[in-house]
Amino acid sequence: MADLRVTLCGVELKNPVIPASGTFGFGREYDELYDISCLGGISTKGLTPEPRLGNPVPRIAESRGVILNAVGLQNPGVDSFIKNDLKWLKSKTRVVANVAGRTLEDYGEICKKLDGLVDFIELNISCPNVRSGGMALGIKPENVREVTALAKKNLKKTPLIVKLSPNVESIATNARAAEEGGADCISLINTLTGMAIDIEKRTPIIANNTGGVSGAGVKPVAVRMVYEASKAVTIPVIGMGGITCAEDAIEFLLAGATAVQVGTQNFTDPFACPKIIKGLNDWCDSRGVQRLSSLTGALRLN
Amino acid sequence: MREVNAVVVENREIAEEIFALTFTCGEAVPVRAGQFCMIGVMGFPLRRPIAVCKAEGEHITVCYRLKGEGTRALSCVNAGEALSVLLPLGNGFFVAEEEKRIAVVGGGVGIFPLISLIREYEGKKEISAYMGFRNRDALCMEEEMARANHLTLASDDGSVGFHGTAVQAFVNDFNRAKPQAVFACGPTPMLRALKQATKDLGVPVYVSLEERMGCGLGACLVCVCNKTDGRHARVCKDGPVFEINEVEL
Repeated sequence: MADLRVTLCGVELKNPVIPASGTFGFGREYDELYDISCLGGISTKGLTPEPRLGNPVPRIAESRGVILNAVGLQNPGVDSFIKNDLKWLKSKTRVVANVAGRTLEDYGEICKKLDGLVDFIELNISCPNVRSGGMALGIKPENVREVTALAKKNLKKTPLIVKLSPNVESIATNARAAEEGGADCISLINTLTGMAIDIEKRTPIIANNTGGVSGAGVKPVAVRMVYEASKAVTIPVIGMGGITCAEDAIEFLLAGATAVQVGTQNFTDPFACPKIIKGLNDWCDSRGVQRLSSLTGALRLN
Repeated sequence: MREVNAVVVENREIAEEIFALTFTCGEAVPVRAGQFCMIGVMGFPLRRPIAVCKAEGEHITVCYRLKGEGTRALSCVNAGEALSVLLPLGNGFFVAEEEKRIAVVGGGVGIFPLISLIREYEGKKEISAYMGFRNRDALCMEEEMARANHLTLASDDGSVGFHGTAVQAFVNDFNRAKPQAVFACGPTPMLRALKQATKDLGVPVYVSLEERMGCGLGACLVCVCNKTDGRHARVCKDGPVFEINEVEL
């Protein structure tokens, strides 16, 4: 048995596999399939200060090797999460509370509410925000720095993860902006903005017209960005984007990630996360790797 | 609900662009009428949500229309090949004890989950079925529908049965059938017409909805429908069957 434990911002995870936000709810549905306490942690459905209804349907489409989604942050609100789900989820595994806001102030408010209650806060800065004229805060480095600093100011106990958007000029610059703003960790990549068209109707398939692209097809882009971002900062990195198996997860670790998130593959195979955890152990055992964490950043460039 | 490593028994075209896929689960899986399954198609990230048509011990039959690349790939799967199937999913149809006479109204691929309802309540309820098809080429599974006590077929062009819609056929026969509950599945315009036609009849109407899905388990909030109380419901987990006045169509 290899040692799969990893430490993120001083918090130990039993393994580095975390279901990604939005694909796993608050864990209850998947817990009907398997005991989710086997997971390294869970990144929750994106939470906002108020309940949100989200976008009209269809909210999902498929293209070769990828999916597109535009759920629009439907969630019951942070208060409902704290009241109804948090205690149960904490009894299972590490809780990464993914949070979003419509205004800059939303981020401050929600961080203050969750501080000390969860293991990590993960800032979703890829949603449209009033502060940046409806553009995502995660695009311009100065906005990344500002929202990170505001969130950090409201967090006395809980480590802050900033989830970076890939739809940017320079991922390294934005990663540094998050670190300068006070982030304890960064996670990437969020989805790539895309469009899929129904050629018979001549309209986009998704009601929102555009959606976030994820799944196996984005993995090489994600691995490259994780590599560039991890080189640009000294804080730990959580890698994600198209992970379908243990070997994919290892690519991200080598590229510089300390932990990984798995999203779309949960739809393809609801048992993806436990299979990846087992696969990591088997891979390490067969290669004589005793500590999985020794792989982080072990990439040798040609 | 569980994941079944199913083996395909048969997968063939039963009407124009309509396929019936039968697979064995290796053991009996309890499936209620109106529940569905998520079928993994090799090479496609999303599973296909398809209603169960027949559940006979370890054998399950689902029917699907060729709609896009995924269903086209599914139609090429041969007997003996393996499929990953999640089932049973969703709430399904429920007929109350006191509802002795029921009507089922179906159109398009919506007839298939209703066949599961007819099969489950055959001999236990007085069932009047109204099934609509585009034309004679689309007609299939007549022997299964005929398990109902009264079957009325309808077609848009009059080539089969009643010339008109299943909803019109249902309305015409309402005073004879006197159903105490109505169960329906079909295209949204059909369900809207049914809602309109039944609003003053004083019988509960239950509809099974269709939506593009992500996980199929209730976690991802992709397949929501609008409820009349302003909230959202998950088609996969809270549905797919809803009381007709509970949802916006």
